Amino acid sequence: MSTPTPRVQVPRTAVKGEIIKIKALIEHKMETGLRRDSSGEVIPRKIINQFVCRYGDEVVFSVDLNEAVAANPYFEFYLRATTSGRLDFVWKEDGGRVFALKHDLLVG
Amino acid sequence: MVEEIRAAGLTRRAVLTAAVAGGAGFAGVMLASPANASDDAAELIKHLTGKTPTESDRLHLAMPRVFANGYTVPLTLVIDSPMTEADHVRDVRVLAPRNPLITVATFHFVPQRSEPRVSTRIRLAQPQDVLAVAEMNDGTLLMTRTWVEVATNGCA
Repeated sequence: MSTPTPRVQVPRTAVKGEIIKIKALIEHKMETGLRRDSSGEVIPRKIINQFVCRYGDEVVFSVDLNEAVAANPYFEFYLRATTSGRLDFVWKEDGGRVFALKHDLLVG
Repeated sequence: MVEEIRAAGLTRRAVLTAAVAGGAGFAGVMLASPANASDDAAELIKHLTGKTPTESDRLHLAMPRVFANGYTVPLTLVIDSPMTEADHVRDVRVLAPRNPLITVATFHFVPQRSEPRVSTRIRLAQPQDVLAVAEMNDGTLLMTRTWVEVATNGCA
């Protein structure tokens, strides 16, 4: 099974107060737990169940995902640029594995 | 194993069973027709959250009316809100009442930091009204819905 690979698209710079667009995607099957394999066994659920975006130390956007979010979950969302700082993106998988990316945003 | 997995989520059956036990009124969801679809949606949300939602044109749920592939249906959600401390959207839940598991995702927004606007892609098992339910900072629930016709079952 391939390793889930996260990707984000974030501007490098922004003007203070500007609304910036973020695109976040992780390559992931989002196995629902509703399917059976060829021998009739239920394939256990394994989904990304949470996505969190922090800006500095503050959580500014998050999603609780359920089974019906499509494979390779993708979110496009919008933040207000306040100060230069780090954006942290974290995806949590069933069973406790975590995938993360960070991005430095320069606000002038 | 199957029961264990499903217990974690909210199944259509669990909601219906609980509802029948709780009162006959809710059983109408099973008999949904265009004429009372709105009432059924409100009943479902009341059952899930304990609150009665108000239909509102401040919520915009944009989805294709017809989409061939139920595995990856695009969705854009926009809420009209100033996002001030005094007036903002706390979170928005997306529900697909005719999916095997009803709750699709919940989006959490933060006043003055995030805009109440998001796009993603979801799975739909069959043609249905997709619902968006926003909880505002004062605790009130606003809802909207949009009909989506899918040709293939995205949950199989």
